[in-house]
Amino acid sequence: MRLHVILRYSGFVLVLNAGFLFVSSLVSALEGDGALFSLVYSAVICALFGIFPVLFVPATQDLSGREGLIIVVASWLLSCLSGLLPFVLWGGEFTFTKAWFESVSGFTTTGSTILSDIEALPLGLLFWRNVTHWIGGIGIIVFTLAVLPSAGRAGMILCRTEMSSVAVDTFNYRTRKVLKILLFVYLGLTLLEALALLACGMGWFDAVTTAFATIATGGFSPRNLSVAHYGSIWIESVIMVFMVLSGLHFGFLFAAIADKSGDIFRSPIARYYVLALIIGTILVAISVHGKVYETWPESLRRASFQVLSLGTSTGFATADSSVWPGFAQLVMVFFTLQCACAGSTSGGIKADRIVLFWKSVGRYMRKIQHPNAVIPVRMGGDAVGESLVESTLIYISLYLGVVFASTLILAFMGVDAFTAFSGSAAAMGNVGPGFGKVGSMANFSSIPDPGLWVLSVVMLLGRLEIFGLVLFVSIRRWH
Amino acid sequence: MKLRFKILSGFIILAATLFVAGAWSMYQLRTIGASVQRILDDNYRSINAARMMIEALEREDSAMLLLFSGQKKEGMDILVSAHAAFQHGYTAARGNITIPGEEEQINRISTAYAAYRENWEHPEIETDHESNFQWYFQKIHPAFQETKFNVEKLMAMNDRAMYETATKLKDSAHRAAMPGIVAIIAALVFTFVFNFFINYYVVNPIMKLTAGIKKHVQTGEALNVHIETQDELFDLTSAIQDLLAKRTKENV
Repeated sequence: MRLHVILRYSGFVLVLNAGFLFVSSLVSALEGDGALFSLVYSAVICALFGIFPVLFVPATQDLSGREGLIIVVASWLLSCLSGLLPFVLWGGEFTFTKAWFESVSGFTTTGSTILSDIEALPLGLLFWRNVTHWIGGIGIIVFTLAVLPSAGRAGMILCRTEMSSVAVDTFNYRTRKVLKILLFVYLGLTLLEALALLACGMGWFDAVTTAFATIATGGFSPRNLSVAHYGSIWIESVIMVFMVLSGLHFGFLFAAIADKSGDIFRSPIARYYVLALIIGTILVAISVHGKVYETWPESLRRASFQVLSLGTSTGFATADSSVWPGFAQLVMVFFTLQCACAGSTSGGIKADRIVLFWKSVGRYMRKIQHPNAVIPVRMGGDAVGESLVESTLIYISLYLGVVFASTLILAFMGVDAFTAFSGSAAAMGNVGPGFGKVGSMANFSSIPDPGLWVLSVVMLLGRLEIFGLVLFVSIRRWH
Repeated sequence: MKLRFKILSGFIILAATLFVAGAWSMYQLRTIGASVQRILDDNYRSINAARMMIEALEREDSAMLLLFSGQKKEGMDILVSAHAAFQHGYTAARGNITIPGEEEQINRISTAYAAYRENWEHPEIETDHESNFQWYFQKIHPAFQETKFNVEKLMAMNDRAMYETATKLKDSAHRAAMPGIVAIIAALVFTFVFNFFINYYVVNPIMKLTAGIKKHVQTGEALNVHIETQDELFDLTSAIQDLLAKRTKENV
């Protein structure tokens, strides 16, 4: 394992973060807020630390799988570290633990916050907070390789290591062109949403930061009341449309736009994803109608936004779903666990694995009836490899195991059971809000500091799809 | 890239990190000094003036009660000295308007005090109001309360402003300390990274080169050392290789 090579590639990621920190400091300078030094100093530190290994270490094209994995995990950890710098330097509500939690929550696109008064934060810091979503949404490595000088074959190794294993299996991430396509879709969606929000009467700052958070399926809002602050059905509609789009596979989205391909409508995953959101909305609307909201339009409006927000792992809110009936909350817990499609910016188990899970359950039932039959699991007419089915089932088991373990630890620290479970599920799925004390209109400041560290690890496990972080920790035994 | 530049860049990074942190900490420390001065100048002076006014008002109220109970001389003596004390406090407050809304509040004190003073300048002593405490509670006491309430409000305003300034002071102290802490940690981490690079790209190649030359001297084997970087060490290795090749040729 070559430490200098790892430092070189991690350096690129720091340079990228430094660039965005400089942009945030420009916002701070334009607004004349007090966060300018915090942002500039953080940018300087990141730039110097990033450029130095790039200058010192000559370029290399060959990376081993182990080096690739370490670079990816180290890049995420370094990004989270660089992300907390402006928060720690600023102070206010941020202690080191809280700044780390906020930064991890930003980069992993979770969107859980410890801030009780978001609007008290200087605009430059608010901008950086949402930029962390935007960088983390598409993937730190993907972003870095798409905008910084070519890393050739090494770059593609890093990309495949960072991306969801399901996404890699369903789309060929082999060329730099594909990275550019991803970035094109990402930038295009962000720009379109920002313009649409501006047209709906939102200010430029709120429009841009909200677009960052939506397309990254993050959920940080510059407002204390999240999207409820605006009270506009048009703004909510725009955000809902872009949340659903961001939950779809970006490769299919690009094909639909560029090639006018109908693959996206034929994909069983996309169809399941949209259908599940519609059914979820109807169930929640029925549950809240008459109990929380008097009219059907109001029930549908609130239910659809909350279900779409959790079902795409975004985490915006227009209502306090913590006071909704238990049935509605449980439906939303299902979406918190499942989230959207692989190849998108969303977290969670992912719709692809849920479909594969149910298909393998069906296959098992048929095997019980016909023990000697060879029955493959099929997706969209194609047989799925046994290794993918196996890894999917292991992944779902591990995923639920991590959520359960995190719930236990938080409960041990004195957090009530539903808050602990929903908070853990929201952290693992990179969704953001849970229920109880960490509901859609609340924050995570009531969680004790050790609990925030546990949730930070869970967020990273969720973002790196468990195996990445587990292998990183057990790297010495991995030969 | 040349070795000289690489090593220089390392030291520049260390120096830049420490310089920026130091400069900012000094700036923040100066801000702390200014904040402390502001607390003393702006708020504490007004709070003191308000306290003086409240004390004077309490004395005036006691004097009014003395007047009502028939002790005219003692009452008037206290009234005159308390009025002077109130005026002193009022003038101090008027001359130290530093926060938004403070001027309006002082104007309200002035109006309320004028109404109150009207009562004790013409206290209707030796009229049928003398010893009529019901009349005191209906007319005099509300005017006293109104004036006192306005002065207390002025004090609360300054208290709040002092708290806010003190909070800013706490933030400034945090912001003065944090860059230093970050710089120290960053410098420590950077020292390790720098040391690693120096070892890997400078010390190790020199050791390899030394070992290669020794081997050549002992066995006559050609110097075969690979240097990854295109720097001075690479040039040195090439020069030694040329020299050894030339020497071998001459010996043959």
